[in-house]
Amino acid sequence: MAKPFQVDVVSPEATIWSGEATFVVARTPDGEIGILADHEPLLAALVTSAVEVEGTDGSRTIIGVHGGFLQVLKNQVTLLTDRAQITRGTKEQAAELAATLAAEDS
Amino acid sequence: MLATQKITRAMELIAASRIPKANARVTASKPYTAKLIEVIQNLGAGGAGSSHILLERRDPQTVGVVVVSSDRGLAGAYASTIIRMAEQRIIDLRREGKQIRIFAVGKKAQAYFRYRGYRIERVFLGVTDTPGYGDARALGDAVMGTFASGQIDAVETFFTRFQSAASQKAISFELLPIEQPAAGEGTSAVSYAYEPAPDEILDRLLPRYVEAILFNMLLEASASEHSARRRAMKAATDNADDLIRTLTVSANRARQAEITTEISEIVGGAEALASAR
Repeated sequence: MAKPFQVDVVSPEATIWSGEATFVVARTPDGEIGILADHEPLLAALVTSAVEVEGTDGSRTIIGVHGGFLQVLKNQVTLLTDRAQITRGTKEQAAELAATLAAEDS
Repeated sequence: MLATQKITRAMELIAASRIPKANARVTASKPYTAKLIEVIQNLGAGGAGSSHILLERRDPQTVGVVVVSSDRGLAGAYASTIIRMAEQRIIDLRREGKQIRIFAVGKKAQAYFRYRGYRIERVFLGVTDTPGYGDARALGDAVMGTFASGQIDAVETFFTRFQSAASQKAISFELLPIEQPAAGEGTSAVSYAYEPAPDEILDRLLPRYVEAILFNMLLEASASEHSARRRAMKAATDNADDLIRTLTVSANRARQAEITTEISEIVGGAEALASAR
């Protein structure tokens, strides 16, 4: 089994997701990145999109995020975002939802 | 009196029920701010430039003043305490020959400063009861926009810090220009990979940082407001209790006095009739 690492998805209102994961996919302005354990230290901006987290129990969580930042440091992945919401649907639906949330705010 | 007491008691209970929720939101917002500060520190330690407009320290000619009050009254001295603190600072700044722009949060601050003829830049209403992140963003946009365009050279904020349900404190701090959080003990100079470039990340981070601080501030002020209202309404209810007690005694005494007078009049009248016969 892949080596696990800590993931926290945090918004100003609440901690959206926190736990151990084996794989994270997120989208930065430069493109999509996948993160496994022992990833090099990274600071990245996020675009409004869907983030995918694979938990150690094999679960897959899709979270729509409205911009934000991603930090990887010593096997700790932190995603900071204005607004985030866990969705059941596909990644496309999650990204759409995040975009709607963003539109509501402005 | 009883009816008034019922109202004040209801308001007391409503306010009391909202304190834990407001307090929980304050707590829930802290991890985000803490992480954001951590990232900024790491960026600074990693050598990101500090040329952002929000970090620019100018000789202040015009100062923006953000005052967080309430929309509604019946919260004791909650609004007037923070407003008076802000006004004192405004008077001092003016004495130094500086211009003032006021950003009023809550009807109370708006009414106070408008009545006294201050120039109000922006007003934010319907925010203080349950502030959302969108409210913090609107306030942040207004303040940062005015700062970035050079219309104001510094921003000071006034709000009520929620220390506990029993204690809240009116405080002020300088929001802009941003005092870049210094690299603390825990931050070692990590060499990050950046996506995009560090300066670009900082560009995006700093506005979020200001918003997070404002959001935190609005939440604390809201918790303080509910606590102040609960306390004021409890005092009013207790006072109504005392009033009801004294008034009941006086009413009974007055009624008794009237009866006594009537009896003595009747007895006096009867005696006069008897002796006349």
